[in-house]
Amino acid sequence: MNQLLDSLKEHPPFSILDNTAYDILQKNTRIGYYPNDSVLVSSGHTFEFVYIVIKGQVEARGDGELLDIYSNNDVFGGIEILKNELSNYDYVVSEELICFELNKNTFLELCDKFTNFRDYFFLSLVERANALKNKREYESMSDLMISRLETNLLHSPCIVDGSKTVSEALEIMENSRVSSILVKNREGYGIVTDTDFRYYILNADNIKHISEIQTYPVISANEGEFLFNILLLMTQKSIKHLPIFSKNKEPIGVLELIDLLSFFSNQTYLVNIQMQNANTLEDVINASSRLEIMISALHSKGVKSRYIARIVSDINKRMYNKLFDIIFPKEWKENSSLILLGSEGRSEQILRTDQDNAIIFRSGFKPENIQEVTTKFVEALDAIGFPRCAGNVMIINPMWCKSIGEYKVMIDEWCEHPSYENIMDMAILFDSISVAGDSEIHNEVVEYLESSIDSNPILIRHLAKSIENFDSAIGIFSQFVTGDKGHKGEIDIKKSALFPMIHGIRTLAIEYKIKATNTYERIKELNNLGFFNREDAHDMIESLEILNSLRLNTQLMTTKGAINNYISVSTLSKIQRDLLKDALKTVSKFKKTIQYHFKLSLVG
Amino acid sequence: MIKSFLNSLNRKNLKDSRFEFLFEEDSDEIVVFDTETTGLNPKIDDIVSIGAVKIKDNKILLDSAFEVYIKQKQAISSESIKVHKIRNCDLNKALELKEAIDKFLYYIGNAKLVGYYLEFDVAMINKYVKKMYGIKLPNQQEEVSAIYYDKKINSIPQGNIDLRFDTIMKTLDLPPLVAHDAMNDAIMTAIIYLKLKQIRKI
Repeated sequence: MNQLLDSLKEHPPFSILDNTAYDILQKNTRIGYYPNDSVLVSSGHTFEFVYIVIKGQVEARGDGELLDIYSNNDVFGGIEILKNELSNYDYVVSEELICFELNKNTFLELCDKFTNFRDYFFLSLVERANALKNKREYESMSDLMISRLETNLLHSPCIVDGSKTVSEALEIMENSRVSSILVKNREGYGIVTDTDFRYYILNADNIKHISEIQTYPVISANEGEFLFNILLLMTQKSIKHLPIFSKNKEPIGVLELIDLLSFFSNQTYLVNIQMQNANTLEDVINASSRLEIMISALHSKGVKSRYIARIVSDINKRMYNKLFDIIFPKEWKENSSLILLGSEGRSEQILRTDQDNAIIFRSGFKPENIQEVTTKFVEALDAIGFPRCAGNVMIINPMWCKSIGEYKVMIDEWCEHPSYENIMDMAILFDSISVAGDSEIHNEVVEYLESSIDSNPILIRHLAKSIENFDSAIGIFSQFVTGDKGHKGEIDIKKSALFPMIHGIRTLAIEYKIKATNTYERIKELNNLGFFNREDAHDMIESLEILNSLRLNTQLMTTKGAINNYISVSTLSKIQRDLLKDALKTVSKFKKTIQYHFKLSLVG
Repeated sequence: MIKSFLNSLNRKNLKDSRFEFLFEEDSDEIVVFDTETTGLNPKIDDIVSIGAVKIKDNKILLDSAFEVYIKQKQAISSESIKVHKIRNCDLNKALELKEAIDKFLYYIGNAKLVGYYLEFDVAMINKYVKKMYGIKLPNQQEEVSAIYYDKKINSIPQGNIDLRFDTIMKTLDLPPLVAHDAMNDAIMTAIIYLKLKQIRKI
């Protein structure tokens, strides 16, 4: 057997096939080699082969725009052959290609014989997403399988001699505040828990010694056992207390089911409480430091990134509130509003990518020591681990630290001169929420911004126009062309996908006067208002989820301090790549919707 | 001049007219092949298997790939089994030497032969063909490590060029195969050949 073909067996859809099919494959496949820029199939032509990439990359291009990309183990041409359709795109080699070419008739023959194989080509996005989710569940399962019992999960054992009376034992139990006691017998241990006392109460007359009501011999586990085995043991035998013995058969503690279960659940509760109880800057920093562990735990459990974002932003809001109380002078509290902008304003920042904050003062309020106070605030955020904002959207910048009146003047200026920078600043301010101080102050500014845009209809088209900023010049996948500076084989997911999506939705939110700042919420609102139908809204939400989740995935893997937005395509699994492709297609479609809706071709 | 003289001399020695086609000129076919042998000395060692693929229009035609195993006079020694992983029991479907060589000759026709350390494989084949039909393979030959050398030497004129198979695969950034049998080695060599033909220098 040719070993290259052999390796195909590991990847769907070929993993579905059996040996008879591999024989057919073996006899009907060619290996092709193509240098860069070779055109495999051009648009409007039929596929004579199904192409399976062994190594290299192929781009699908339509109307000059890059629509899809295929790399190792990817398959294309199948669906077109099955549907007997012409190719919609030009398939062009973007990184020298070695591929299998499976001829059309053999492919159809395989599809006839193996319906699963055929069905794979018709799989929808949702089904593939489920496949990915299952995979992640499996991964977190494997974490669970390999963690071992740690002693800090245990309660110290309360041991009484079997000759003690029940009431003596109860007294010892009460004094040591435990919910179970270990009974030491001449040979081995027994255990007494609530269930056993229930039995005692019913039969109290005939029972004297604790040893008479014990569960004996006790079910136990040894230290260092796999948590997974322990969980299995406890659920199978339905026991809530499990004594743990050391290697020399001495009890070292009792594990309670509730502790085990909470160990597996997340630390969210803990972080939240810790933040709530924080009184000093140090407390706040400490509480924040747990956040990243919590995030990766939630992510590995397959929690959707939009829910993680919600949890994180709730905790962060609490954090900002604390910081405000600790750092800012008392009189600022009634006379200002601390706001978060951009991704934090949309409650979409999960890992700390940057600090985007501003402060608005009530008219007539004259704050003192502005520079000192704001510097202290920004330095606190530094210490917590928020990198400074590259665009300088921070309260230490006078532009983002001024009175309501001054904000209004700035808004007027933006409207008069809708340059790219001004438009983007406007967008950032539009995505803002008040996290501390008097939120009415913030409301007044936002309402002024909304009415300014409303009375100046051309502005919204300028806003929408920015969606074209990171466009076809480099294609959806920037940096794929070989030899590019430092990011070969990587996509800037923020510029190429997230920005158009978030910005497009934001622009629509302005037009439709939607109050929510969160992109998911805005999509739902746009669905309620009838701009999106149910299916499109669903596609948008799922695509955004995929993009955010992949981004989070990569960011969690990269080392601290080096958070960027590049996703390396080759490190993604096949399913992840497929999902990414589908999400990028949705973005591309949405961009066209926006371009049409705002008639962008007419805006200079 | 000398080449064509030697070639016609070779042709005169052909004892079996069935194989006249080997001497026909102007073939556009390319056959990449590899052999597995009992050792490295063509004089005393024997071929255990031959794998070959054809290349046409820059494509490796797996659909017409060629693979034979050859019956051995003696059981294969354990040393050579360790190298090529062909055990005696793997030779159940093996052909008699003569049949295998005939099939191979029909397969290659007058195609150009390509291989890695081709000289050795051709010497192995010639040993039998000479005995059986009085000739040596008259086909054009092209050595991939030589092409590799020519393209590499441009970039490091005084350098020592490592011509090991795995190094070539690595330098050319080609997907390596673990198995080394005649068939897979022929396929790998074919991929190397295709790539080398496409690039100007390494």
